[in-house]
Amino acid sequence: MSLLLDKVKEVTKTLVPVVVLVLIICFTIVNVSTDVLVRFLVGSVLLLIGLTIFLWGVDLAMNPIGEYMSREVATSKSPVKIAILSFLLGFLVTVAEPDLLILGNQIEDASGGFLGSALIVYMVSIGVGVMILLGIFRLLRDRPLNRFMAITYGLILVMGFFVSQEFLAIAFDSSGATTGALTTPFVLALSLGLSNVKGGKYTEENSFGLVGIMSAGPILAVMVLSIISRQKNIHGDAAEYVFHEGIIGPILETMPHIFLESLLALLPITVLFFIFNFVKFKIKKHEMLGIIRGLVFSLMGLVIFLTAVNSGFMDMGRIIGMEIAKMSRGLLIATGFVLGLIVVLVEPAVHVLGSQIEDVTGGYIPVNLIRVTLSLGVGTAIALSMVRIVVPAVKLWYFILPAFATAVLLSFKSNPIFVGIAYDAGGVASGPMTATFVLALAQGAASTIETANVLVDGFGVIAMVATAPVLSLMILGTIFQRRKVVELKHEAEETSPAAVMPITLSDFNHDCLIAVANRGYAEYIVDLAKEAGATGATIFHGRGTGDHQAVLLPIVNIELQPEKEIVCLITDIDISANVASHILEDEQLAEKGEVAVYIAPTVALIKDLSQN
Amino acid sequence: MIDIDTIFFTIVDRGKANAVLHKARELGATGGTILLGEGTVQSKLMDFLGITETRKEILLIPASAGLDAVLHEQLSEAFKLSKKNKGIAFSVPFKRWSVDESVQEHNISIDDERFTHCCIFTIVDKGKGMDCINAARAAGARGGTIIHGHGAGVPADSYFPLAIEPQKDTILIVSKKDKAFAIKSSIYADLELDKPGNGIIFTLPVSRASGLFENKAEERKGGSS
Repeated sequence: MSLLLDKVKEVTKTLVPVVVLVLIICFTIVNVSTDVLVRFLVGSVLLLIGLTIFLWGVDLAMNPIGEYMSREVATSKSPVKIAILSFLLGFLVTVAEPDLLILGNQIEDASGGFLGSALIVYMVSIGVGVMILLGIFRLLRDRPLNRFMAITYGLILVMGFFVSQEFLAIAFDSSGATTGALTTPFVLALSLGLSNVKGGKYTEENSFGLVGIMSAGPILAVMVLSIISRQKNIHGDAAEYVFHEGIIGPILETMPHIFLESLLALLPITVLFFIFNFVKFKIKKHEMLGIIRGLVFSLMGLVIFLTAVNSGFMDMGRIIGMEIAKMSRGLLIATGFVLGLIVVLVEPAVHVLGSQIEDVTGGYIPVNLIRVTLSLGVGTAIALSMVRIVVPAVKLWYFILPAFATAVLLSFKSNPIFVGIAYDAGGVASGPMTATFVLALAQGAASTIETANVLVDGFGVIAMVATAPVLSLMILGTIFQRRKVVELKHEAEETSPAAVMPITLSDFNHDCLIAVANRGYAEYIVDLAKEAGATGATIFHGRGTGDHQAVLLPIVNIELQPEKEIVCLITDIDISANVASHILEDEQLAEKGEVAVYIAPTVALIKDLSQN
Repeated sequence: MIDIDTIFFTIVDRGKANAVLHKARELGATGGTILLGEGTVQSKLMDFLGITETRKEILLIPASAGLDAVLHEQLSEAFKLSKKNKGIAFSVPFKRWSVDESVQEHNISIDDERFTHCCIFTIVDKGKGMDCINAARAAGARGGTIIHGHGAGVPADSYFPLAIEPQKDTILIVSKKDKAFAIKSSIYADLELDKPGNGIIFTLPVSRASGLFENKAEERKGGSS
């Protein structure tokens, strides 16, 4: 029960600020019709239910599927098979993404039918497929992510000079569109699974980054498309926006449509998984039932969530945007900032990323710190988007290109694990909430301001949301790298020495050795232990503080608990002393690893029972 | 004289370990290490919904025997471990090894009387954690905590420099000593640990425990009679 309650609590915590703020705006500044207001409130409740169920489904289905698929990919012996499989995964999850089709249609309209929507959807999907392929090879070959992304974004930068500004916006937007509500959790799970199967020293760093790599695919694809087709300008006007009337009507109206879209988006992953299960995995029935249940939850949750957002939040966003833009431009920018600050936390993928960070780092990176940083990034991004709408002279690339250039530079200074998290955050932050509520806000504002063009200024908002968190998290990672160790003054008197426990019992035939050391030294300890005669070990990730020390994060002075690795060894009683001494005598380990070894006698059933 | 340390284990809900560690440091502990784990729940409805675990944190604090007693007393009170589902704490005698005493007498000793409980560790392949807990339950255990880790010392793979490390579930079960053998045998048989590579199981003595459900049940019985 408590886990379900936890989820509800977690979602509520992020949703309440949004509702409260919107209500404040409704009652003080903007006059909103009762219909829209009630629909917003109903939508909020539905959103709470939908998001909770969805996150639950992701836990039950997406994570195991990602894990099985990644094991299949990683254990393939032939590189050709890995290539085909990973390309297929990337291509299939993208081609069915509903957001991408919508974007394709928009581009088709904007280019006067010159670029067909089908062409765009396939090009983008191929782009994602290729990037996932490269990303998986990078991961398996242990190539550093910062260099990989530096090359990728270098390429984007160079191509950026040949592409018109409108297409730059479209290209970055399409990357936001491909990282949808379903795709992102799946790719996150895939990345986590791969790095776990691969193991090795960089397991944690490798758990992140695939979403970031993937989202570069569409940018490149659309740019290539633009250069080849020599399409420079987009024109035309956005279709007249029609507000819905009534309360229950619009909700019921959007539901079937969304159901179909969500089903379509879920289908490729599911079908691929079932095919592989039939041919290869042959998962136990009990486990399979869990996954199917998870898939049903994901679908149900997603449908409820998207219905809530589309019917309850979109009109509200549009009205707020229109009304505030009429009143004051400064207020518009401020509203954008505050809304961005809190709306991003309702994004489903942000929750998924958060729990993944916690699991992977053993709680070492405080999830709340990540959330705050993400919020600040997105808040700034939306405020700047509003500036762009208000002041026509300000162009999108003023922000995006320098932001990415800085992020790439910082990625070489940042704490390695943050590089992956930061690049992922871009895709994670630009989910369905941004694509509906925030976009509606921007378009509403643009439709009121004469100098702005709804279509042209509408493109680029998602791009901003996808860019800013990359930079803000990279900055956090750089700060993290400079954390410092502080000796705590501690005056606890030595407690009395323990009573000696007498007499050894004969059936304690093994010793349990627990070695606690700084992160990165576990493998080394295992090697040392093997030299001294131990056979194998189990490694755990955790966090903790050493003897009388505290680690502080500069500037904000938050206390961190550094990452630790715990090696658990079961050795024969005769050699345990040797193993322990051998580990402790190693100078390098003693100096940097801050290792401590504990021994206890244990009754182990490794072979005793089998002999009997 | 041999200085016997203990490792003080606390298992609490996710997010609470920081507070416990903080309090423990106030009481004189030098530091501690926190691991993430999963506990179990027993409910038909939850089982149907697929909710079979609760998120826990496991906190390990090295302590001398004197400090250990203080920790048990103070932390139980501060975090209400005596109430149901608030968490448990137990201590396992461990010796902290140091280089200076390289010729240590190796006889951390076990007095049968002192240890009423023991802690059963089972290390199996990932995904089998729940099977293990079910087997243990069949033999009378109340529940367990799963910690994810990975095995080390396995040779690397061929084409890619992959050290495909088998992921492992470690299951921690605290039980009364008299039940321990039955639980171990049940796990051993159900998970076929006699076959090579399937897993290992070992027990550590518990010198002191607070917040165990068995104790609570007895206290209640004692109180009512």
